[in-house]
Amino acid sequence: MINITIDHIPVEVQEGISVMEAAAILGIAIPSMCFHPGFSNHPSCMVCLVKDLDRDHLVPSCALPVSEGMNIITGSEEVKEARQEALELLLSDHAGDCEAPCRLSCPAFMDIPLMNRLIGKGNFNEALQIVRQEIALPLVLGYICPAPCEKACKRKPMDQAVSICLLKRSAAQHAGDDNFHQADRSKTSGKKIAIIGTGPAGLSAAFYLLRSGHSCTLFDQHEKAGGALRYDIPEDRMPKEMLDAEIGLIQNMGAELHLGVMVTKDFFQHSILPNYHAVILAAGNLGSNLSAIFGIQPDEHGSFVHRRDFTTSIPGVFACGSIIREQKMAVHSVAQGKMAAKQVGIYLGGSVEQRDSLFKHKSVSITGHLFEPEWNEYMKESIPGRRAEPAEGILAGFTREEAVHEAQRCLHCDCRKPLTCKLRLYADEYDANRKRFAGEERKYITRSIQHEAVVYETEKCIRCGLCVEITQRHGESIGLTFAGRGFDVRITVPFSKTTREALTITARECVEACPTGALAFKDLEERKWR
Amino acid sequence: MEKNRRITDTVNQVVSRHGKTADAVIPILQDLQHEFNYLPEAALQQVCEITDITPARISGISTFYTQFRHQPAGKHRIRVCTGTACHVKGALFVYEAFRRELKLEDGEDTDASLIFTLEKIACLGCCTLAPVVKVDEITYGHVVPEKVGEILHDFLTKNRNDIARASSFQELQSKTQGEIRIGLGSCCVASGSSEVKAELEKTLALAKIRVDVQQVGCVGICNQVPIMEIIKPGERPVYYAKIKPEEVREVLLAHFKPEGFVNRFRTGLYSVFETLLTEGTPKSFRKYFGEQRDTPLSKFLGPQENIATENRGVTNPLDMHGYMQSGGFTSLQKCLQQMTPQQVVDEISRSGLRGRGGAGFPTGRKWQLVKDQHAEEKFVICNGDEGDPGAFMDRMLLESYPFRIIEGMLIAGYAAGASHGIFYIRAEYPLAVTRIGEAIRLCREKGIIGPSILGSGFTFDVRIFGGAGAFVCGEETALIASVEGKRGLPRMRPPYPVVKGLRDQPTLINNTETLSLVPWIIHHGAAAFSKIGTPGSKGTKVFALAGKVKRGGLIEVPMGITIRQIVEEIGGGIAGDRIFKAVQIGGPSGGCLPASMADMSVDFEALKQAGTMMGSGGLIVLDDTDCMVDIAHYFLSFTQNQSCGKCTFCRIGTRRMLEILEKIRKGEAAHADLTKLEHLAWSTARGSLCGLGKTAPNPVLTTIHYFREEYEAHLDGRCPAGKCIPLIEYRVTDDCIGCTKCAQRCPSDAIAFRPYEKHAIDTDKCIKCDICRQICPVDAILIH
Repeated sequence: MINITIDHIPVEVQEGISVMEAAAILGIAIPSMCFHPGFSNHPSCMVCLVKDLDRDHLVPSCALPVSEGMNIITGSEEVKEARQEALELLLSDHAGDCEAPCRLSCPAFMDIPLMNRLIGKGNFNEALQIVRQEIALPLVLGYICPAPCEKACKRKPMDQAVSICLLKRSAAQHAGDDNFHQADRSKTSGKKIAIIGTGPAGLSAAFYLLRSGHSCTLFDQHEKAGGALRYDIPEDRMPKEMLDAEIGLIQNMGAELHLGVMVTKDFFQHSILPNYHAVILAAGNLGSNLSAIFGIQPDEHGSFVHRRDFTTSIPGVFACGSIIREQKMAVHSVAQGKMAAKQVGIYLGGSVEQRDSLFKHKSVSITGHLFEPEWNEYMKESIPGRRAEPAEGILAGFTREEAVHEAQRCLHCDCRKPLTCKLRLYADEYDANRKRFAGEERKYITRSIQHEAVVYETEKCIRCGLCVEITQRHGESIGLTFAGRGFDVRITVPFSKTTREALTITARECVEACPTGALAFKDLEERKWR
Repeated sequence: MEKNRRITDTVNQVVSRHGKTADAVIPILQDLQHEFNYLPEAALQQVCEITDITPARISGISTFYTQFRHQPAGKHRIRVCTGTACHVKGALFVYEAFRRELKLEDGEDTDASLIFTLEKIACLGCCTLAPVVKVDEITYGHVVPEKVGEILHDFLTKNRNDIARASSFQELQSKTQGEIRIGLGSCCVASGSSEVKAELEKTLALAKIRVDVQQVGCVGICNQVPIMEIIKPGERPVYYAKIKPEEVREVLLAHFKPEGFVNRFRTGLYSVFETLLTEGTPKSFRKYFGEQRDTPLSKFLGPQENIATENRGVTNPLDMHGYMQSGGFTSLQKCLQQMTPQQVVDEISRSGLRGRGGAGFPTGRKWQLVKDQHAEEKFVICNGDEGDPGAFMDRMLLESYPFRIIEGMLIAGYAAGASHGIFYIRAEYPLAVTRIGEAIRLCREKGIIGPSILGSGFTFDVRIFGGAGAFVCGEETALIASVEGKRGLPRMRPPYPVVKGLRDQPTLINNTETLSLVPWIIHHGAAAFSKIGTPGSKGTKVFALAGKVKRGGLIEVPMGITIRQIVEEIGGGIAGDRIFKAVQIGGPSGGCLPASMADMSVDFEALKQAGTMMGSGGLIVLDDTDCMVDIAHYFLSFTQNQSCGKCTFCRIGTRRMLEILEKIRKGEAAHADLTKLEHLAWSTARGSLCGLGKTAPNPVLTTIHYFREEYEAHLDGRCPAGKCIPLIEYRVTDDCIGCTKCAQRCPSDAIAFRPYEKHAIDTDKCIKCDICRQICPVDAILIH
């Protein structure tokens, strides 16, 4: 046995283990990308750096054997900074998008590429479920959303953007009545929430609160629910029955609607505040009524609502939608309703949900527009041709067949390992800035898709070589290899063979060992199975 | 079909030569490339079919080492030296001129008709003749861009027959009258053009004089080249400095007799021969004997101290008898017969010898560590993978003193308890490989290598491993990987090679120069060695002195000598009345020290403290026309290019640093970029796995530290030295006499042809190739 000190804690460990393993005994987790238990552990990523105090060196802990009297620091600022820089350098050399640009530009962060792929396979039911994870009113928004997502679509410069907005509508339209009206609910929480206003923000908040098992009562001064969606949008743009259908669903989920009710100061103070566990104000631009009726006071910056958590000066009273600022896009209000609902859930004692919509924008990899040589690469998994126009006109929307075809035009810009990519995970954890060491020009993205199940994108690879070692250990006759040296080193298949020939028995092991999205299953859809 | 047949046959032959094990991959690839001029994929596949080598391994190896190419090469190779000395003297202008001449498109290295392949090479070791270009075996020195066409013409029309004949002649000769050493393959041949060599060989052939013509790397006195040494048994060696082709005959006949009367007649040299025999050598020759004082030679050699280079220019490298007569192998004998291995280790420890590879680890301690290991097998490796641009001392030592280094290795092997020795010599040094190989053969014949050496019971065998072109293989763990037939990736230490090295056995790796010092230490005693040098750095150090000094060359100086002594006394000061600005010590791992620090002592500690390091011993002198940003960029592009690509900081960090330096050179950088560069340099030094990455930032950090104002000038869009191409403009001054030379030579038609008028340069068309400035007879073209 050997005595060492890690972060000033003495520990007796077995001879021959690494500092990383020794730290694990003390419950200290050290991040690493290229480490794989039982492998040769030739350190390359340098994300597992620790400080060896006696030698005054930073050393990769995965390959550093423990030795008597060793004195290691894993959590100092210096160590954190070095790990962060390693991640930032890796990010600077990583060409690929953590999230598709359409999703990033969607105010509600809808998982558009996944929806497209599900529709592309004719699976409208699951597509609708994916849509509703982020958007409560897909049918309505499918008519009126100005679709910022389509402006960001990487297909746009090639011919035309994918018709995302219409596809979202068709997910709701073609999911079938039963599916449309089916919404999962958690078990009842016993908490009651009052929502003032039944516009896009209020309806959206109600939808997500109901899904989480809370009960909701909505108040609106108008005789019919829908707010701006009902009164500001002409029939020839969106048939009112669409709005009714989605309000109907929310009612089915258990929402109580109190319509034609003018919420006065007195009513609010005496009938609402004492009777509900929380209140969401979503009644459009209230102006001075916010303090006059509801008693909300501005904070030191002059704002009535905190942008981060939608709280106000009154505990338990939240606000969203045009109350904060005039919202020009309904999708913004819908997104805020959802986020306010999450905050209410946390306020009411729910756990903070680990959500990928809360990631740091500066830490995710974003490549921007495609270069022309990349068009062919992205077209490998798509179909050619301009976007489909609904034969029955825009109001009718896509037929099933049209929708399936249009959805297949999607280029699959998003990462196939959104949940297991360690680069993304640690970049987020270490607050790494992808732009800090960004190179002058990014590399062109390539996709090898010859293998029936696996896609290989070398520009996402961190050159750890785990896959090379796996193919070697299993005696693949072709296998994978390092090619070149230095900055240009990459992992390839020898002798211009294909990935299909390279990975005859090791595909699964390689994909699972790969710390990034470089090697991934084409159709695993990690998010769908979370 | 025919081609396939040839491939199959060749592969079979090559494999039968090297065996079928996986670690034979590098020698197999080297032989295949030799046969085909490149590596045809069909041949590589064939190798995989009949050996244990996998497709992954052969692909990984053949793309890692720069020696290997996968596209057919031209019939002839043009290698433009881009070593430090050549760089500061405009090698890139020369390289670009060749590209234009050969009409190479981006990404191409071979001309359309497959005659020439153009390459950059880290260092040809002819630093004093910079810029240097080697076309196949012909070296051209002081090349200027506008002459590249002539060089190609010269190469294709002249010399070919002479070379061919000379080589066949050399093979035939048996017993010789003596040796002529001419610095062929290095400085000497280049400066005298190939004519001296051609003339020498022609004369020898015609007169049937049997003499060993030694193509020596560098005798060190590069500033007096071409220099011819004549060595005859029983006579003191004679140098002929700056010899001209027309003088060769007379010199030859003054020293050697043509064979037989008939031959003498046929040579048609009868009368000259008679004159010389009676009158001796004409006085007009620049002829010096080694011991003469007050010659350029003696000034250059005076302050030097020869241990590694003992008997410089006296013994024939492969004259084993001569080596033994001058005391060779007595140290080995002394060790084997009078000393225990521990006593040998103690002697080396007492001498204070530290590794000459760069880091300066105490040699005795290293030997002790290997000695203390219990293992069935131990190895000694001589690290001759000298890869620094601007350093060529290992090559010179290997070429000139093969027996001395072998002796050093044998002593090391005896002390450490090893039974196998390996010379790791880079592929760019074919002559060193030949010499060491021949010396090993001779030693084996004499029982100095092999079983029970000199009857002592100590058994030791030696072989050569040819490196394949990767600077990182100078790092000991990468070197071991390379010998094992893997990609040359450094690995994490510990375990150190002294514990777990080649084939997981204890392995002693010493630099060539280190081993070459060992016999002297044993012979003269540790005390004699430790008398030389400083308290922390004992003995001597060999440097390749080049750059802007008057007299460059290979020098061996005592540790503790000052930079000023080297530059001014040995080097004769700065050439061309320019101002001494800085010295670059230690190549890509070292740094730049300003002239104000010239009184600093040259030793391990002082250099380290100043932010640089001994490195392997390149010492490049810079003057006021050298831009420090450009120098930093130059070294970093080298290391960036040579990074193995394994760890994040070195692979990506050095690249990002280089990109920032590019931006600075273009005048497009802001202060924030300079801060980022400095930060990244520290991070890369701190976070890289091996010595290459840890020291790669040194040239950047030292230049920022000592010459920050120069960086800041670039941020303002100025290059004070006028070196950074994007920031300069060529202009014609009023001194122009209208000779039209520039207009005739301009490759981009940027200068209109106007006889007797002042010319002007169209800056939009100008490609900044520097030809006009170099060719102008009245220096009327200036850089702004």
